Amino acid sequence: MFGFIFRRILTTIPVMGFVALFVFSLLYIAPGDPAAVIAGDQATPEDVAKIRAGLGLDRPFLVRFAEWFFRVMQGDLGTSIFTGLPVSQMIAQRIEPTLSLMVVTLFIAIFVAIPMGVVAAWKCDTWIDRVVMSFAVLGFSVPVFVIGYLLAYAFALQLDWLPVQGYRPIKNGVWPWFENLILPAVTLGFVYIALIARITRASMLEVLQQDYIRTARAKGVSQKSILFLHALKNAAIPIVTVIGIGVALLIGGAVVTESVFAIPGLGRLTVDAILRRDYPIIQGVVLMFSFVYVLINLLVDVLYTLLDPRIRY
Amino acid sequence: MRDNLARPLTEQDVVVARELPDILEPKKRRSGLVGFAFRHPAIAVGGGVLLIMFLIALLAPLLGTVDPSAIAPSKRTRAPSADFWFGSDMLGRDIYSRVMYGARVSLTVGFGVAFFASLIGLVIGLVSGMVRWSDGIIMRVIDGMMSIPPILLAIALMALTRGSMGNVILAITIAEAPRVARLVRGVVLSLREQPYVDAAIAAGTRMPKLIFRHILPNMLAPIIVQATYICASAMITESILSFIGAGIPPSTPSWGNIMAEGRSLWQVKPFIIFFPAIFLSLTVLAVNLLGDGLRDALDPRMAKRI
Repeated sequence: MFGFIFRRILTTIPVMGFVALFVFSLLYIAPGDPAAVIAGDQATPEDVAKIRAGLGLDRPFLVRFAEWFFRVMQGDLGTSIFTGLPVSQMIAQRIEPTLSLMVVTLFIAIFVAIPMGVVAAWKCDTWIDRVVMSFAVLGFSVPVFVIGYLLAYAFALQLDWLPVQGYRPIKNGVWPWFENLILPAVTLGFVYIALIARITRASMLEVLQQDYIRTARAKGVSQKSILFLHALKNAAIPIVTVIGIGVALLIGGAVVTESVFAIPGLGRLTVDAILRRDYPIIQGVVLMFSFVYVLINLLVDVLYTLLDPRIRY
Repeated sequence: MRDNLARPLTEQDVVVARELPDILEPKKRRSGLVGFAFRHPAIAVGGGVLLIMFLIALLAPLLGTVDPSAIAPSKRTRAPSADFWFGSDMLGRDIYSRVMYGARVSLTVGFGVAFFASLIGLVIGLVSGMVRWSDGIIMRVIDGMMSIPPILLAIALMALTRGSMGNVILAITIAEAPRVARLVRGVVLSLREQPYVDAAIAAGTRMPKLIFRHILPNMLAPIIVQATYICASAMITESILSFIGAGIPPSTPSWGNIMAEGRSLWQVKPFIIFFPAIFLSLTVLAVNLLGDGLRDALDPRMAKRI
């Protein structure tokens, strides 16, 4: 077990190395002068010359990559063009809202989507199933910001139940924090719920056909415990996998959701950086999110062995 | 039970089957386009809506539109009316015209990305699946690329270049192609185990013929299905990129950047966002329906799984 976890952690190291190499080389693959890209639009020729000297373009690519990677490992992601602050410091300042949003979304999505999928599989080919599946297709088709504006228009502007925009830090009280996160989290969770519900339904349908379910039914186990104890546990692997993979959707969606709801998180940081053409920030954010994503999928792999003791690597 | 068997059979115990007609009427099956639509409603509805969007994109100049970038500062942010069917934006441009012309961008990006990502993914996946020594390297690179959330990868690529339709297509293609490559590799690996492929190899079939004659035809169905999903997701990614200002510049109207421009006014003038949002969602929905329908029609085994 621990041997497996250790080996699995070892295999993520080359993947992370490739991510870093890829993110680093983007700057050089793209057409144009990398120094000009980093310097941004308002840079003077002197600024560009200074950055070019700093990049050390005369030295071999792999040497530069190794130096850069070594700095990244020490937490140095470079300096923002616009503010002159270290990128890692700017990311650290913005991490709380984004983390809150994603955690709340994750919880809402899992608690809504899994029962939805289970019920859809149980009531397969009835109107309940069809409603759930239509919702899933709709969730994939409506862009996240459209859902955001619709929800904000209905529940904040018209009904006035929840705040329209903004973010309150959790240290100022849990309820104000949560109240501000409900609409953004539901918005962001929409696609995610659709994805998880769909996989849950498919996975449950497969498990419900198996013999031991019929046996359980025959010996009089109640419907509820057949669905949620007997079947769900065996249907869990694809569901956990898709929860892990779907985090990519959450990360992408967070960028947009934060602009719709004026949440000062990493997404806002990214959008502002795009408008100011502040490339070091974008590079830092992409790198950080990718590492988080790799770690989450590592966690999912480790969870497999807990969920299904038959899995041995 | 035993008592019943003990007594002799009477006439009521014998059940006679209903008499069948000499010839069973064949089940009526509609033919032609109507029949196809009845058998595959998802393909019919999705394809139909998509066809309408194509016609809108193609015939945009003929649909009662005006110049989509003609500004009229005196007629800013008008609500929908007989003059401005979908209202006007903060520069006084006609939103109806912009939405009609915007169909061109979404469809070009969606189908462009679907085509290029499928093509690139197909080539990489085939190489990875057929050339054994390259598999390890290619899959590590693909794992690395797939560890970057696709929207972020597209954002990073767009931050490096100028906003234009070509660059948007390129950026989303790079973000989506690894997915296709992995799918193709998986299918190749399973096809390679098939007895008929072994037979072809044993009969001395060369690699090019093996690929084009035996592997590719069996790959077509999953790739077409995957391409429709990529098309849908590319349209959404384009609108997100344009929405956050990393996509197509406002001089070319796209559904994403019309909404981006309506963003600051959404609380007072929601119609600026409403109309492009409806068109975008409807189009993506149509493509997704088409994908689901094609999946069910082309590969019934896959349909059962998802």
